Amino acid sequence: MAEKPTKTIVVTRFDPDVDEVPKTQEYTIPVEDDWKVLDALNYIKDEVDPSLSHRWSCRMAVCGSCGMTVNGEPKLTCKQSLADYGDRVEIAPLANFPVVRDLVVELEGFMDKFKKVKPWIVEAKEAAVVEGTNRQSHEELMDFKQFSMCINCMLCYSACPVVSNEPDFLGPAAIALGHRYNQDNRDHGDAERNEIFREDGGVFSCSYANECAEVCPKGVDPSGAIQQAKLNNVVDWAKGFVVPRGK
Amino acid sequence: MRTLMLKLEPIIWGLFGGGMFIGALVLPAWLLVVGVLAPTGIISATPLDFDHIYGLASHPIGRLVFLAAAALPLWAGAHQLRHIFLDFGGLSRDGLVGGVLYAIALVGSVLAVVAAVNL
Repeated sequence: MAEKPTKTIVVTRFDPDVDEVPKTQEYTIPVEDDWKVLDALNYIKDEVDPSLSHRWSCRMAVCGSCGMTVNGEPKLTCKQSLADYGDRVEIAPLANFPVVRDLVVELEGFMDKFKKVKPWIVEAKEAAVVEGTNRQSHEELMDFKQFSMCINCMLCYSACPVVSNEPDFLGPAAIALGHRYNQDNRDHGDAERNEIFREDGGVFSCSYANECAEVCPKGVDPSGAIQQAKLNNVVDWAKGFVVPRGK
Repeated sequence: MRTLMLKLEPIIWGLFGGGMFIGALVLPAWLLVVGVLAPTGIISATPLDFDHIYGLASHPIGRLVFLAAAALPLWAGAHQLRHIFLDFGGLSRDGLVGGVLYAIALVGSVLAVVAAVNL
């Protein structure tokens, strides 16, 4: 039987208790044709080096846990075929996030940004009691549906040049999510969210590099959401001079 | 200065958007007509002579178009340059750089208003 082909996986390692700076470690492993990048990492963890830390869960591009930098680009490792790369594959943690250990990054700051945009339907219950059931047409659903496809994998934050320069920037996924609720006709929170969007680090910090849309593994267009949110904010801001804003 | 810019960001972005529209769609068509098609004789240059153009530009709507074509791209340029500066890590000097760039756009816009009024 022919020997299995091999690839060298170069993994960025970092143990906060020991290392001052991250280092790389190479593993040459046998690979299968149908492997995803995550399969190689799982093989290393299971068969070669159990000390390797990486985060993953569903293996079907739904949970958004396994985002990493593969050969310099943010990728969802359970979706990215290993066969797309040559004999040497470099895997590092996502850029623009603090590293907890090896390939695992800190999520807390990211989650705080999500909470900030109020990612829930505001005043839905009150409206339902007074006016009955909310109705939504197909067109109204299409206004926001693609923005609700985000799986919070954070690849867009890793790719965004503004996130790397402005740590307070809300970022692509959080703005797209806030915009998703602003576009939802059941929601009445757009005035509150627009105020957050106009703060320092809000929608106007985006320089429209469009990298977020390029790297999104779910085909969401966060940069489109941000530009739409900017336009809505211009209109909302201008309206503020004409219509008094009641609380 | 940064706080002021943050407050004015919606209008600045609006001016930038208008400038990008003109810069990307209107000016290339205009340059194609007056820079290539008319001089090479592909289209007649008669509608582009001074009297015709002056008549068009001195009409109130013509003055507005002239003003938009002259002033808005300045805001687009200023805003783009500011964001390029930010992308290169210039956040700590954003107030100074953004302030100077927008001041240039503002001065240019005032001159464009003066020119549009006095056409």
